[in-house]
Amino acid sequence: MVYEKPLPVINEDNAPYWEYCRSHELRMQKCTDCGYVRFPVSIVCPKCNSMAAEWTPLSGKGRVYSYVVYHMAYHPSYKGDIPYIVAIIQLDEGPRMESNITDCKTEDVRIDMPVEVYFDDVTEDISLPKFRPAA
Amino acid sequence: MENIKDKAAIVGVGYTVQGKVPGRSSMSFHLEAARNAIADAGLKIEDVDGLLMQPPMAAMGDPMVAPAYLSQQLGIRVRFMAAHDDWGASAGCLAQHAAWAVVHGMANYVVCTYGENALSGAGEYGNALNGGIEYGMFGAVAGYALAARRGMHEFGTGPETWKEIAIAQRRWANLNPNARYYQQPMTVEDYYNSRMIVDPFRRADICLVSDGGRAFIVTTAERARDLRHRSVFIMGMGQDHPSTNVPQATHLAGPSGAVVSGATAFKIAGITTDDIDACEIYDCFTYTVELTLMGYGFFGPGEGKDFLKAERLAPGGDFPVNTSGGQLSEAYFQGFTPLAEAIMQLRGDAGERQLGPVTNTREPEIIIVSGNGGVLQTHSTLILRR
Ligand SMILES: [Zn+2]
Repeated sequence: MVYEKPLPVINEDNAPYWEYCRSHELRMQKCTDCGYVRFPVSIVCPKCNSMAAEWTPLSGKGRVYSYVVYHMAYHPSYKGDIPYIVAIIQLDEGPRMESNITDCKTEDVRIDMPVEVYFDDVTEDISLPKFRPAA
Repeated sequence: MENIKDKAAIVGVGYTVQGKVPGRSSMSFHLEAARNAIADAGLKIEDVDGLLMQPPMAAMGDPMVAPAYLSQQLGIRVRFMAAHDDWGASAGCLAQHAAWAVVHGMANYVVCTYGENALSGAGEYGNALNGGIEYGMFGAVAGYALAARRGMHEFGTGPETWKEIAIAQRRWANLNPNARYYQQPMTVEDYYNSRMIVDPFRRADICLVSDGGRAFIVTTAERARDLRHRSVFIMGMGQDHPSTNVPQATHLAGPSGAVVSGATAFKIAGITTDDIDACEIYDCFTYTVELTLMGYGFFGPGEGKDFLKAERLAPGGDFPVNTSGGQLSEAYFQGFTPLAEAIMQLRGDAGERQLGPVTNTREPEIIIVSGNGGVLQTHSTLILRR
């Protein structure tokens, strides 16, 4: 089955992030000068402007910071998905990221709800980090 | 620091045909708005020696919409020129840069323009702006709905408060023949029946998409006195651009860019919120109005649900907001929608919706205008007086 939904835009800078996702690892850049874990991917640390960083593994655990429910399909490939949840996840290690929350009824999602990451292998090359309620 | 207060003035406004206007390029709306602003100010083409433009958002990167082409087609020879994109904060930022330019003699009359075939053209708003499309985050609505949900959590507001904003603005639009919703009211029932788009936002919480353009002209306070319309002076100005990536942002539920931008403008103007007669607030979404007014200090966190009542914001109210109908109910031309309306109101040219005896409101002496772009990532403020 062909995956028809829009895929992430991968460039020179964020390619490692998506490579780790492909191997089902959530990693982000940690500044080796000040220790700040940053997201989205960037060549410089927004706290100290250092260019030194390592890809640190994250627990994939976090809480819902905010969420919305799409009731309109802006793209034909999402017709079968509405209503679906888009959320900002507050990760335990500090950064927040946007993603989907699945395996959760749209009326059950709450701010501060604990969630954990899983990887959705949408194509051979792309695995999307998504979240579901923590066990 | 030399004070810019009251040194520059806005002396002309250019409107275009607006709404759904197929068969027109974005450039054509810049041109129509600019020539109408020049005519409105009573200037000759050769008087205009400065040009600032906000490039169209949806047609991002359209090489045909560039300041030199605009200048070329208007037949002006300028000595001060730029394309300037702070997203929705641009109109206010253009006015600020134009003010500094005229005060320091870099130009005498600066025309500032915006135009876009956003409704009928090929472009689409917002998708590329902040990422997330792989999770089905389409449109500018995603980021703002995420901000608004967090706002509900922090401030105890939500649809119950936002309906007051939407209904009040619709009542202003009902008095504005240019507005998309001229003479078409919105009831509480209409608001709640409005289609849920991205929960917590209904259609009624989301701005219009419009074809058209707007322009205005900035000159010095002295030159303004010789022109045909009542001068509108730039009393205060400010900017603050949090810029932060949406998930990392702490400004989704305040303090937004409005706090520093507004405080800067109030300080330059030497006034407080008590001196403001009306507010023209960038209203891409109802929640943006709540967050901006809170950031300017009209009410505190948690007070919005009691403060924001339609009878106060609407015609006849003591706290008029978005008197053209705004981006929700008049038309969406980025920050040019609220800015143009503030100028018309201060000139006394707002017709049926004119603040003062016509609408049983205070005569406007001072109006605050906001600009806001990205997902609350850029912000500009102008305080204008007559
Ligand atoms: Zn650092």
